[in-house]
Amino acid sequence: MNHSNRFRPIPFVLLSCVLAPIISCSNLPRDPKQTLRRVQTRPMRVGLVEHPPWVIRANGEPRGAEVELIRQFANELGTTPEWHWGGAQEQMEAVENYGLDLVIGGFTSRSPWKDYVGFTAPYFEETIRVATPPGTSVKTVKGVQVLAEDDAAMALLEQKGATVIRVNEIQSVTGPVAAPDWRLQTLNVTNTDIELDHVKHVMAAPPGENGFIKRLDEFLYQKRPSLASLLQQESQQNEIAR
Amino acid sequence: MKLPGDPFRLPPDKRPASNRAKRLEVLTIIFVLSIIGVISAVMGTSQTMKAMWVEDVLSLVPPIAFLIGRRFSDKAPDQQFLYGYRRTVAIAFLSAATALLGLGLYILIDSIAKLAYAEAPTIQTVELFGYRIWLGWLMVAALIYSIIPPLILGRMKLPLARELHDKALHTDANINKGDWLAAVAGVFGILGIAYGYWWSDSVAAILISAEILRDGFSDMRNSIAQLMNRVPTSVDGKDDDPVPAKIEEELQRLSWVKKARARLREDGDVLTGEIFVVPRDEQNLLDRLQQATDVAHGIDWRLYDVNVVPVRSLEP
Repeated sequence: MNHSNRFRPIPFVLLSCVLAPIISCSNLPRDPKQTLRRVQTRPMRVGLVEHPPWVIRANGEPRGAEVELIRQFANELGTTPEWHWGGAQEQMEAVENYGLDLVIGGFTSRSPWKDYVGFTAPYFEETIRVATPPGTSVKTVKGVQVLAEDDAAMALLEQKGATVIRVNEIQSVTGPVAAPDWRLQTLNVTNTDIELDHVKHVMAAPPGENGFIKRLDEFLYQKRPSLASLLQQESQQNEIAR
Repeated sequence: MKLPGDPFRLPPDKRPASNRAKRLEVLTIIFVLSIIGVISAVMGTSQTMKAMWVEDVLSLVPPIAFLIGRRFSDKAPDQQFLYGYRRTVAIAFLSAATALLGLGLYILIDSIAKLAYAEAPTIQTVELFGYRIWLGWLMVAALIYSIIPPLILGRMKLPLARELHDKALHTDANINKGDWLAAVAGVFGILGIAYGYWWSDSVAAILISAEILRDGFSDMRNSIAQLMNRVPTSVDGKDDDPVPAKIEEELQRLSWVKKARARLREDGDVLTGEIFVVPRDEQNLLDRLQQATDVAHGIDWRLYDVNVVPVRSLEP
């Protein structure tokens, strides 16, 4: 092999010298439309889509786990949230066109809006599973009566051939129940191996506002340990309000 | 008569280069697969990364074609395929190039559309060792990794391609060059996003897909030309191969040959075909033809299975 074909390390050393300071620079990535900077000089416009226990429509101030998180986030940024109620379609269109800074409403990574808005990284994962009263267990839900609180769990159970009993709130457990894992923790039940679904929760920001989304990602990651108890608290309060 | 014939055998002095080329191509496949893995892991929604993925998959084709070609050139012709199996490579090249050309075109149109509709790419953070890291930085790291192997391997392949007169190897070395240039463009695309220039993603993707189209198109043109028995060319495809003219000259130097005309084609790295000779008389014709065949085969190591055909005249 002749010498001119040999690998020369100098360009790579130079490239690393250029890249290292860029990457360690903390104000990157920046927002093309300056959302992070703007929400610090005016209220943060937050679109709300009703979806208990994530976003709860109450008399007066909105409630819910995501509402509470965003209150804290706004506080951390030194701004105040400005709530805008609406349906999913109008809220997503607004945030897609930078008319809102954020939309919350229990959205998951499966949302078909993912190509149009800027979703955060999944900040909370829940597994919807079947549990039974202590001392009992089931191998399958086929032909079994199962209690469920929400429509999503109900549909999944029906697909698996279960007989579903829909209730507003699971109170006394006498047979198998299906609910998210954080909810099952508050009931006197033992988990089975039957997992119905695995859901990843996200929030919607304007598309491409990577600096704002990164800041929100970091905030939500910090809050991760307290999320399950926050959800339990919010869903309990919601039931009381009912 | 030698039907079905012997397979083409590489002269002993070319063996080391051939073995070295094979090792380089195996290394290329391993590295490119690792690059594809890394790129897939951090791809996200970036157009740049999508384009790089296609570029890297495209660059798997020439090394695979080269290795298959080396294997088949050892395979003797049989009763079913009297001319041997050498053209499988050209067919593989053609179909792969066509598929990837389509993919390159798709990325190009998609990127232009994203630019036209001003769609800003959203890149989130991922968890890494307990920290939230912006995925864009990982993309930059993956792209920098994808610069290094093709830069080194491509440079090592060029002299071997010349020595072995192997166009698949030459194409591959060129594609490696395109690979690392595309990766550099990709780094700037992602850095642009970091600085809030949303359009830099699509612009980098357009540059990369232009590179994919260039590679795919030249692959396709070369393989079609070979399947259509185009006149032999130099390894970079720029000049006519000097061997046919040299054969005509050498044969015309034989006292019994009035005129000679070579009609050769490339079959992978070998040259094959007919040489038409006009003898001055028909004395000892069979012996003379054998002599002409031997002379012709002695001119270049790439000549294989060349037939010398006596004719009355070269005019139609």
